[in-house]
Amino acid sequence: MNEILESLQRCVERGKVNIKSPYPPDMKGQDGTDELARKALEAGIAPQDILSKALIVGMQKVGVRFRNKEIFVPDVLMAAKAMAAAMEHLKPFFKSDELKHKGTIVIGTVLGDLHDIGKKLVSMVIEGSGWEVVDLGTDVSPDKFLKAVDEHPGCVVGLSALLTTTMVNMEATVQHIKSKHPAVKVIIGGAPVTEEFAAKIGADYYSPDPQGAVEFLNTRCTPN
Amino acid sequence: MPEFPTPETFSFSPSFQELAIDRTIVERDLGYRKGPPPEIVRQLIDEILPEVPLRLAIQCGFRILPPDLFSLTESGIECGDVHISTGPIIASQLKKSTTAALFVSTAGPLLEQWSHQLMAEADMMKGYLVDAIGSEVADRASEWLEKRIAERVTPRGWTITNRYCPGYCDWPVTDQQKLFSFFPPDFCGISLTPSSLMIPIKSLSGIIGLGPNVKRGAFQCSICELKDCFRRVDESELAAEQR
Ligand code: B1M
Repeated sequence: MNEILESLQRCVERGKVNIKSPYPPDMKGQDGTDELARKALEAGIAPQDILSKALIVGMQKVGVRFRNKEIFVPDVLMAAKAMAAAMEHLKPFFKSDELKHKGTIVIGTVLGDLHDIGKKLVSMVIEGSGWEVVDLGTDVSPDKFLKAVDEHPGCVVGLSALLTTTMVNMEATVQHIKSKHPAVKVIIGGAPVTEEFAAKIGADYYSPDPQGAVEFLNTRCTPN
Repeated sequence: MPEFPTPETFSFSPSFQELAIDRTIVERDLGYRKGPPPEIVRQLIDEILPEVPLRLAIQCGFRILPPDLFSLTESGIECGDVHISTGPIIASQLKKSTTAALFVSTAGPLLEQWSHQLMAEADMMKGYLVDAIGSEVADRASEWLEKRIAERVTPRGWTITNRYCPGYCDWPVTDQQKLFSFFPPDFCGISLTPSSLMIPIKSLSGIIGLGPNVKRGAFQCSICELKDCFRRVDESELAAEQR
């Protein structure tokens, strides 16, 4: 693989944002994702290759290591920051349609629940895998989810909840969305959620972690 | 609210120093048990910790249920005509209790606001670390309160069980509505939403069994079904910390 792409992938994995960043200490003074993404474009590497052969691969490794409990939330946040620095350089190509997202996911924490961090983390990892994320925030009503699905035809929906008392609001949300858009796929997650619960409420998938959601999106959801 | 002959509640505002939270504890909470976190995380924790006391409104309090109205059942406790269904696992930990203390604790709303503000300013890392510290504050305030409860009953020759919270094992989170009915409204600045979410978020509620013959019993983590929880603390770790 191209040397720049290899370095770029490693920088995402290690959370190296730019040359000034003192983190990680063993990469001090070296280029980060910011410089490398720019250099890759200058070297004529196709934006699609930068995205799919370096950034997405790096982020996927991070997602897997997090799932295996080899790394923790702060490490994922650093990787996401490095990914975002590179993505800044790719933004114009998304605007000009030269680069396309794999699809769109509308995500939110369900009605009655104010927990944000888990859902934010899932959003970052999904974004880092090449999907566009529309984050509706917390305490999101079924109506608000439905409106967002109307506005993003072909999207997938992601629901998060942290307590059993708010998890029940996932059912009403799934029904509300599917009554108008039966083909829309819904992924659910959060500490008290289980596979059995997902099946019971008619959700299409349950993932205990961000990477599982990414894998479902990449393998089972047709891009729009 | 149920009427009892001794409807006394006790509340406290311990300082951050009294909770003895240091960087090692925060690192453990983040999941780093086998090795240290990245240096940048350590630096940020060191930067945040001195600011935490300025953004805290720790409150905690308890109420001891009147023994003459208290009874244990197979699946929970009864006090007057209120039945709290802790489920058999927690009920067995409360075995032999003469009565129980119901308690709440909170870090207050300010840390949460700080965390949200940091995240809104795109400083996810610092926001997350502040959030994790807020969780630890709520937890430690309960632990601190447990000692006050013990002090109150030891002169009678009583001991206390470990503390247990609604939402663990088979105890429904919704039972918090019953638990809160024993406290005055807005007790310790905590309110309960219809979906039984405590506001501020960094709050805890629970029960501790009391009596002359109760055993300390299992620590909540060791009876919890969430076996691979990143915050799981085993009892040896806890004992080492308390030494
Ligand atoms: C769309 O697709 C997807 C896919 C994956 C998805 C997804 C969507 N959404 C999330 N995911 C997944 O990916 C994310 C990244 O890995 C994860 O998101 P999370 O948001 O889960 O992860 C965050 C990044 C980090 N996670 C956390 O910060 C939560 C960790 C645990 C240990 C936890 C903590 C720290 C706390 N708590 Co409490 N707490 C627990 C948690 C057990 C656990 N291991 O999860 C849980 C959530 N708590 C529980 C309970 C019961 C409670 N807590 C309470 C209090 C607290 C603390 C204050 C001590 C503290 C802060 C909580 C907070 N929300 O800020 C109480 C409620 C507080 C309130 N305000 O009402 C209280 C009700 C206890 C009480 N009676 O006082 C349990 C809920 C079970 C239930 N029955 O509902 C619980 C699962 C613990 C347990 N062992 O059972 C995954 O869930």
